[in-house]
Amino acid sequence: MAAAKKSFVMEHLRKAHMIELLAKGKRLDGRALLDYRPIDIKCNVIQKANGSAQVSLGNTQVIAGVKIEVGPPFPDTPDKGLLVVNAEILPLASPYAEPGPPDEEAIELSRVVDRGVRESGMIDLSKLVLTPGQKVRAVFVDVSVLNVDGNLIDATSYAVVSALMTTKMPELEVSENLQIKEKPNTIPLPVSNIPVSVTFARIGESLIIDPDSEEESVMDARITLTTVDDGHLCAGQKGLAGGLTYEQIMFAAETAKIKGQEIREIIKKVVGSIG
Amino acid sequence: MPEVKRKYVIPGELITEGNYRIITNVIKRGNKFYSTRIGLAEYGQEGVRVIPLTGPYIPKVDDLVIGKIVDYSAFAWEVDINSCFLAYLPARNVYGKSFSPRQEPLVKKFGIGDLIAAVVTAFDRTRDPILSVSSPGLGKITKGEVVKISPTKVPRLIGKKGSMIKTIESGTGCKLTIGQNGIIVLTGQPEGVIKAVKAIRLVEEEAHLADLTQKIQAMLGVKEGDG
Amino acid sequence: MGKLINDGIRVDGRRADELRPYRLEVGVLKNADGSAYIELGKNKIIVAVYGPKEVHPKHLSLPDRCIIRCRYHMSPFSTDVRKTPAPSRREIEISKVIREALEPAILVGEYPRTAIDIFLEVLQSDGGSRCAGITAASLALADAGISMYDLVAACAAGKVDGTIVLDLSDVEDKEGEADMPVAVMPNLGVITLLQLDGILTHEEFKRGLDLALEGCRRLHEAQRKALMERYFKTAPNQEVE
Repeated sequence: MAAAKKSFVMEHLRKAHMIELLAKGKRLDGRALLDYRPIDIKCNVIQKANGSAQVSLGNTQVIAGVKIEVGPPFPDTPDKGLLVVNAEILPLASPYAEPGPPDEEAIELSRVVDRGVRESGMIDLSKLVLTPGQKVRAVFVDVSVLNVDGNLIDATSYAVVSALMTTKMPELEVSENLQIKEKPNTIPLPVSNIPVSVTFARIGESLIIDPDSEEESVMDARITLTTVDDGHLCAGQKGLAGGLTYEQIMFAAETAKIKGQEIREIIKKVVGSIG
Repeated sequence: MPEVKRKYVIPGELITEGNYRIITNVIKRGNKFYSTRIGLAEYGQEGVRVIPLTGPYIPKVDDLVIGKIVDYSAFAWEVDINSCFLAYLPARNVYGKSFSPRQEPLVKKFGIGDLIAAVVTAFDRTRDPILSVSSPGLGKITKGEVVKISPTKVPRLIGKKGSMIKTIESGTGCKLTIGQNGIIVLTGQPEGVIKAVKAIRLVEEEAHLADLTQKIQAMLGVKEGDG
Repeated sequence: MGKLINDGIRVDGRRADELRPYRLEVGVLKNADGSAYIELGKNKIIVAVYGPKEVHPKHLSLPDRCIIRCRYHMSPFSTDVRKTPAPSRREIEISKVIREALEPAILVGEYPRTAIDIFLEVLQSDGGSRCAGITAASLALADAGISMYDLVAACAAGKVDGTIVLDLSDVEDKEGEADMPVAVMPNLGVITLLQLDGILTHEEFKRGLDLALEGCRRLHEAQRKALMERYFKTAPNQEVE
């Protein structure tokens, strides 16, 4: 029932308490600096989608759905299928979200997550070609953010990856005369890698992982680094008006590898249980 | 004590029929009384009312509220009081009637993000609530832990004649400042504050149940009549 | 000989007067002032209520009452063929009729100069999503603690293979002869939504309306249970003291 204001203002008292705790390596909700909030991933929540996943990261809640269609390729990549990642922060997700077309925050969110999936080579897009230059599979991943409590990038990223990994699509057959016929069985997407993003916030001199809304309201800078299975980095995005030191970035890169591996195991376990 | 009957109700639900005075959150059709809220309906000699368990804070004159400064102009601060109405704290209610914007910028006194304890001095359906901080104990809050509960549960947290506050304060050694708008500031030793927050959460969860004060007394190890 | 009803049994195994399986839950979103979730058949709809709150821009506010704003929106993955995220004309009309179905239940005069926002997100669609949305939205309004004359329950009836049936599924809606969504304030008996899509005789219209109201009555019982579960769970029983 907050009187409508454009954005969240954190109480000075609470902010001072937060800064005091950070200096001691602690956070308001009791986490250590490099702790994630509880992560919960549920797959196959939307039967009408080819793949889907609902992820909660603390109170942040997102749902991703994959739809697979057949259409023409982009003219500059006739030998590749399409991958489109699109995220919307629904007006029901926060008192500060407004109905209307995605704003720059939502577009950055979509693009950062898209980049992680695309650059990791998670999906072999060349295997999605049906008739070169004419018909390819188009993979649409749409994300609806249901409740905003910080770190939408990681929550969205895990939902997209989990949804893609559990996607089932009808097998297609291309006949001699290039007609496309749907076969009765389904097949998974050609997935080979699990990109995992890890997002850091800098508040004063402290670098923390997985900031919640309160922490985001006072953070000076943000950086997201995405790693692939072998620990290599595949995507990155620094955000906000503050800067980061060389040491902070190297520390983040190293931590992203370790934390990324932990989260990759969580995702594998959930996806593996689906079969 | 006159007999009062109680019943859990939802909007549109029949509470009772007969001849009663409507106190609050009740509508009458014919001689039947219906609830407009989710809550505990009470009917007896005094009348019929529903004590809601959820809902917004609607300001009342003389309410003590805890608010957050969210903006200011040359003449007034805008204060978020956890309500559907934004409250105003006029500079003249702080500096005195002779205040002129030339005197000093308002931010010197309260900045955005500051918490204040204030009293609602004016409010009606046609205008936003006006606050004052001129009585003792009001003004900027400089220390303590902030806890939010549903404003509808504040009466329960205060208790009959302040019995619940007294129980929590004596059981934890904390001091509670309770805003009618559901914002509470606790000050005291860290262990006491943790215990007090737990007690507040229990009151919030079980606000619809009877014997809550005894339950909290047991939880905090306070004997009846203490505090 | 119909293809949608055989020996009185519909394609999904229901009799003419049966609802699809449903589930209602209150208080599902942390940020919202009130929220609810409904599953009805394949429908999965989440609703949030924000408000009453200040109106921006201010000139839209009314001096003696609150304004109600409503947005019904379908997630792109909610339909068989991907839906573009931008609101369609259908979604805009449905938003309007949902608002007008809910508004009669709200004591708008209690919250002058404010706004109440109702956001419905269809995560998966099936036939009758507007009705399921209304049923959930009225729970979200009650959860937000907004004063209401009554809850609003909604349900469709229609005509499929010549038979008047309750609560049409997707395929019955598309291939049947008529669909009639109805919303009602059950304790007041006031109908707040009625749409009709298809031809019915006067007699069929009456039977359809009666059946839809019976469906609303059952959903109202489910609404009540969901609120009791959310608010009075720890209560030993309904009568106190």
